[in-house]
Amino acid sequence: MCVGLSAKVIKITDGTALVDASGAKRNISVELLEDLEPGDYVMVHAGTAIAKITDEDIPETERIMEALG
Amino acid sequence: MTDFVTLAHGAGGKQTAELIDRVFKSHFANPNFTGDDAAVLPAPQGKIAMTTDGFIVSPRFFPGGNIGKLAICGTVNDLTCMGAKPLYMTSAFVIEEGFPMDELEEIVAAMEKTAAEVGVQIVAGDTKVAGKGQVDGVFINTTGVGQIMEGIRTSGTLAKPGDVIITTGDVGRHGCTILLARDEYGIEADVKSDCAPLWNAIHAAFEAVPEIHTVRDATRGGVGTVLYEIAEQSNVGIRLDAPRIPVEPEVRGVCGMLGLEPLYLACEGTMVMIVPEEKAEKVLEVLHSQKYTENAAVIGTITEEQRGRVVMTTEIGSETLLPQPGNELLPRIC
Amino acid sequence: MNEDKLEQARKIISSYDGPKLRIMEVCGTHTHEIFRLGIRKLLPENVDLISGPGCPVCVTPVGFIDEAVMLALDHDATICTFGDLVRVPGTEMSLAGARSKGGKIQVVYSPLDAVEYAKEHPEEQVVFLAVGFETTTPASCLAVKRAKEAGLENFSLLTANKTMPEAYLALKGSADAFLYPGHVHAIIGTQLCEDMAEKEGVSGVIAGFTGRELLTALAVVISRAQEGRPFFENCYPRVVTKEGSPAGVKLVNSIMEPCDTEWRGLGVIPQSGMQLREEYADFDARKKFRLPPVEGRSNPACRCGEVLQGKCKPSDCGVFGKVCTPEHPVGACMVSGEGACSAYYLYGGSES
Repeated sequence: MCVGLSAKVIKITDGTALVDASGAKRNISVELLEDLEPGDYVMVHAGTAIAKITDEDIPETERIMEALG
Repeated sequence: MTDFVTLAHGAGGKQTAELIDRVFKSHFANPNFTGDDAAVLPAPQGKIAMTTDGFIVSPRFFPGGNIGKLAICGTVNDLTCMGAKPLYMTSAFVIEEGFPMDELEEIVAAMEKTAAEVGVQIVAGDTKVAGKGQVDGVFINTTGVGQIMEGIRTSGTLAKPGDVIITTGDVGRHGCTILLARDEYGIEADVKSDCAPLWNAIHAAFEAVPEIHTVRDATRGGVGTVLYEIAEQSNVGIRLDAPRIPVEPEVRGVCGMLGLEPLYLACEGTMVMIVPEEKAEKVLEVLHSQKYTENAAVIGTITEEQRGRVVMTTEIGSETLLPQPGNELLPRIC
Repeated sequence: MNEDKLEQARKIISSYDGPKLRIMEVCGTHTHEIFRLGIRKLLPENVDLISGPGCPVCVTPVGFIDEAVMLALDHDATICTFGDLVRVPGTEMSLAGARSKGGKIQVVYSPLDAVEYAKEHPEEQVVFLAVGFETTTPASCLAVKRAKEAGLENFSLLTANKTMPEAYLALKGSADAFLYPGHVHAIIGTQLCEDMAEKEGVSGVIAGFTGRELLTALAVVISRAQEGRPFFENCYPRVVTKEGSPAGVKLVNSIMEPCDTEWRGLGVIPQSGMQLREEYADFDARKKFRLPPVEGRSNPACRCGEVLQGKCKPSDCGVFGKVCTPEHPVGACMVSGEGACSAYYLYGGSES
């Protein structure tokens, strides 16, 4: 379920943000998130930002694998 | 002359003649385009190729082209795939009553310009006007005749294990452009249709390497559909190297948002070529030197095993099947 | 160094030779990505990856489609829907079928687009088909909130929203560990998974969706399973935090409330659905159009229900690949590109 796409916030106006996913731009709702600023990355699902995220998957997986030993 | 096409323009009388003179003759003029009932043409030597296609794109103007340019490219590219130099074309218009005359001019002008690029003559035409609502704006049919280059034989049945698969450019751009131009999903991206006549580029490739086995236009259904067709026709397997398939980042972004596969989006100026392995380097070198095919790339090989299937090496070094083509493209969200 | 870690994950997965390990993914996008990346090919024989009920389209009962068709054809409502639902078979027909009979079916990217559509078309009654789990429900609630603020009288939801916690419990015995759906937990946080491990003895990890994330998550499951104790680990911390999205949860709870709901193939699971609260009755299509109770009939030969519970593989079903194909789906698992059957079929399930 839930196709999610990581996108970069370009600008924010009244709970709506213009986001960019490798050049595909769309207005989405960011009402569920606080303290969002242009330049942040969000996970977008069905026109709504569901989480503020880090864009890169490498650091998290590195840490997890290191902890695994 | 009026600003809009009316039913009188299709009635065969004075106004029809006016429309033909002003719009069609002024753009398509050449010695073979006469007022007679059929064009009388010198017969070419050797074999000819002939093809026809209908065009109903909506919207009819889109970034990178319009329905007129598309109607020339589609038929020119179909001939090109067979190694046939496009010689003559016919074009039949079905126009909706009330269609703006300046739009029609723009469409026809684009046809003239595109035809001139590859030196094909438009030698006959037809114009019908349908009542309001009976067609959507304008539909165009084009038919083309080409002369097959000596010593060239290409077909979807000729792919051999060991051959190399080349795309002449990045994939999915036309389909993505149209999807965005319809503005149904509120997405914007700087994407232009790849719509282009490829005769000059592919001709150069044939001149350098007459042994090219297959050339196919990846229009409706995209590169993915073409590859499944070739796998079936030649009874071979196809192995793609997913990371090497050229896709513009914006097209990838749009596909990511809508859960679509770029390999199944239409191209209108990108072909799939199957060439013997030892000739691949030469074909690429020629394509890279030609307009419209600068970004040609090797994307895979023909295999003995997995006949009828398209297998992809994935970004994590495993493999998977490319899903079979089919069905209306619906965005996947949840 | 990056490659080293990925290689390490891969080695852990491929070298597993312990007892049979059943891992269930409960997210359609996991199913899809696992096929797309060819992850099954990397699994040893004694690791089974089961596609559970994680695709909202697949668990939406036939009766829901029947209700939508009824709204489109008998009530002349404009149906706004995610593309995924268009081809799901109802008792008589799918929404694509209703469209060919003159029903107005509009595919949208977001429930918020359906609200915009309703604003622009005041003469039409617009119904959005609200399917989805915790990830998608906030967007539908935002749509209701916006419609209410704008005073729209021509917008409503046909709800089939579902929640995962009760489903996890219902599926407890079907697998040794869950790959929890990353985006559901982006909303509800990680507490539930911790409780599952501590109180219910159910193991699992929250997984992301890239190749790297999926391989890492599977490596963690395989390593931790060998410790012999129930475990939980968040393998998608760049998106999922412990608290999730309190704003999202709060919004949903202010507009919707839990209800009993039918899961296609699993039956009714108490308190596993969400419906609009009484204050929002004006936005509830069932109430607004006084829809009669509908009982949809699915094809009896279809084994979607067992597939969803991991009791059989798509290829074990008698209609799979013969009568039931993506072009002519019989069961919901074949309809959605994320459905287990569709993914098996499209990606050549015979090898899996």
